[in-house]
Amino acid sequence: MSKLPLEGIRVVELTTGAAGPTVARVLCEFGAEVIRCETRLRGDGHRGEDPALWNKKPDFMKLQRGKKSFTVNMQTPKGRELVKELVKKSDVVVENFGLGILEKWGLDYPQLKEINPGCILIRVKGMGCTGPHAADLTYGPNVGNTMGTTYLWNYAGATTATAEPRTQHPDFMGGVTGAFAVVLALIQRRETKRGQWIDSAQVEIGASLLGPKYLEYSVNKREPRPEGNRSLIAAPYGPYRCAGEDRWCVIAIYDQDEWKRFAALVEQSGVKRDEKFATHLGRVRHREELDVWVTTWTRARDPYDVMETLQGIGVCAAVVQDVEDQFERDRQYAATGFLVKLNEPEAGEVVTEGVPIRLSVTPGKVRGVAPLMGEHTREIARDLLGLSDREIATLEEEKVLY
Amino acid sequence: MPDIDPTSPPLTGYRVLDLGGPLGFHCTKLLADMGADVVKIERPGGDEARRIPPFKDDLPHPETSLYFLHFHTNKRGVTLDIESPEGRAIFLELACNADVVLETFQPGRLDELGIGYENLRRQHPGLVYASITPFGQSGPWRDYKANDMAGLALGNLLYLAGEPGEPPLQPPGEIAYGMASTYGAFGIAVALYHRLESGQGQFIDVSMHECAAHIAGYFIPNYGYTGAKPARASRKGEETDLYDPYPTKNGYARIFIIPVEQWRRLVEWMGRPPSISGAEFEKMAYRRKHPDIVVGAIAEFCRRHTKEELYEEGQKRRIAVTPINTAGEFITSEQVKARGTFVEMEHPVIGHYAHFGPVPRFSESPGRITRTAPLVGQHNSEIYCGELGMSKEDLVALRASGVI
Repeated sequence: MSKLPLEGIRVVELTTGAAGPTVARVLCEFGAEVIRCETRLRGDGHRGEDPALWNKKPDFMKLQRGKKSFTVNMQTPKGRELVKELVKKSDVVVENFGLGILEKWGLDYPQLKEINPGCILIRVKGMGCTGPHAADLTYGPNVGNTMGTTYLWNYAGATTATAEPRTQHPDFMGGVTGAFAVVLALIQRRETKRGQWIDSAQVEIGASLLGPKYLEYSVNKREPRPEGNRSLIAAPYGPYRCAGEDRWCVIAIYDQDEWKRFAALVEQSGVKRDEKFATHLGRVRHREELDVWVTTWTRARDPYDVMETLQGIGVCAAVVQDVEDQFERDRQYAATGFLVKLNEPEAGEVVTEGVPIRLSVTPGKVRGVAPLMGEHTREIARDLLGLSDREIATLEEEKVLY
Repeated sequence: MPDIDPTSPPLTGYRVLDLGGPLGFHCTKLLADMGADVVKIERPGGDEARRIPPFKDDLPHPETSLYFLHFHTNKRGVTLDIESPEGRAIFLELACNADVVLETFQPGRLDELGIGYENLRRQHPGLVYASITPFGQSGPWRDYKANDMAGLALGNLLYLAGEPGEPPLQPPGEIAYGMASTYGAFGIAVALYHRLESGQGQFIDVSMHECAAHIAGYFIPNYGYTGAKPARASRKGEETDLYDPYPTKNGYARIFIIPVEQWRRLVEWMGRPPSISGAEFEKMAYRRKHPDIVVGAIAEFCRRHTKEELYEEGQKRRIAVTPINTAGEFITSEQVKARGTFVEMEHPVIGHYAHFGPVPRFSESPGRITRTAPLVGQHNSEIYCGELGMSKEDLVALRASGVI
């Protein structure tokens, strides 16, 4: 088994929520040792408020698998000193508390640089670390409100404010982007021998995918409106209703060859096509009628039949899967072993998503279960901070290692 | 070769050959914005993405796609028919001088052409070669076609979006492509880091299908644990959730309450309406059981303010209030202006535009936007003559035979 590529890199994680933990989780999968600092004074959003459930939350397992838990009370001067000692021995600090907290702890970049000039600090914030709204309280799902996603994620001509789900790509894409940035800073550090800090605004990472929408505003001086499932470059396009309750299959046809194969297949089953669908222009112009025509074929069929049949003739088709489908009917996940089982000591079996990229020489992996609250406190205090058992016991008593 | 100026963007000196389609656009954009010299290889006549809307003034032309402009600003561009023998030879020569190749072809397609990873690594063992594909390089679906919406559909993002009874609803911004591209860029960074020590390159296999699963929150771990299988949320009755936007005097605002302190501050701000001031409402579970009371009271309050008033005053009071902004409202917001999120750029055909700047921001070696998107074949002479030593006559001959 070859060495993981980030082996030897130590990450101190000072986080709550999802975006910060995701930065460290991704680094962990490629070999970094991640020490998550947390406290028994209060479980973070994903451990939850109830201490009885701290070690039993599947969402926490997804975010924290493979890391170590070091319980330390940052409200005490001694606790802050211990974390500074940890930082001195680390390569990366990941932080995503509200603006001002790191400053108060003496760990913002000007102070951290004094402790460890080679250290890389990434500060993950909803709105970034500068600007009049830097201190905003944000969570993954409401970052999308500010940047236009919520407004645009709607049916054409919709009357309600939003039809979006509680999807939070600024959290998860933000986390992976943050990990990308940290590795770039590590690459550069090999040359310069110096660290730096990274201001990672979730709103900017999420918004960077909406670039063409902003250009529509800045170039065409026009406010982009919600478009629903419409497309001008593909027709048929969108989710089509299939047999069963709330079952759908996405179909997208981009060129004339795909159309001919598709139309011939549908006609074989006795559904005559209209001549006005013969060209792409005709299909786009008459898209409502086209959708009705396609649906006469799809609605009698299981969505997986639709997908497999159309993929068999080289047409893009994909079942609108729910989470049960992902477990039970997704042949691809099953074949690649993408869903990974963790045997958590208190929670039992928890299934999470695996590593979605495969590096041929230095593959990453899910490195283990999520840590119990404080599971590694003594080990880290002893081995890394060089404290004696007596000192550790005293610090635990004083609720510093807590 | 890596630059030693500590203020240069981190990938300064790295060359990336970009054979990617939309699945990989954001990946090479991330690399370009962080300093890499990304050379986009377009088929003669121009990349297919030049046909993707929106267009300047809604007039389609190879140089007016705003979609193409966003993703290719900061990249250079050459035309090359990699399916022709001369084109393949030129590509192999370019690859010898590259650090990274990114491609999004169907698995095996470039091997058939003799320019897949196995061919390239023989002549260039240090090459980092990333393939971003809909389903990755293995498994029963590896040859299937999938666009962004298909990725979101299989990843359980589409199913949850939209109104019950209505069709599932695609998000704006090609999130599945974006996540696959971001993971691709991370993999490339890790491979380059590894190469610093080992000198060895490698192959990176990125599956959009798997990346998309990582966006959908906690549905997979929760389902495995509790069997919970959410559907599109209804706004009426029992299932109404507290996070739906509230109508204001001029649009919508959202109030997202998790910690109890925020709830207390909200109730205080609202002037302690009797209907929600009871101690029982401090428990989120209780609020969830009585959405009509909670949503009713908050909605009544929000109707009396503008979304900006709610945002400014709410955040001042440490409550997670956000306005539902349009794209234009975001671009022109104080926060975006103060941070200089957009960079003023000029394109020879499109003219003046505000381009989304590099993210995230490095304190010592920030990313840069140095050039606008290439015109079709704009850098042919710079690269083919300047770097590969071809003559102007060679260019004419290659053009005549349709290779460039």
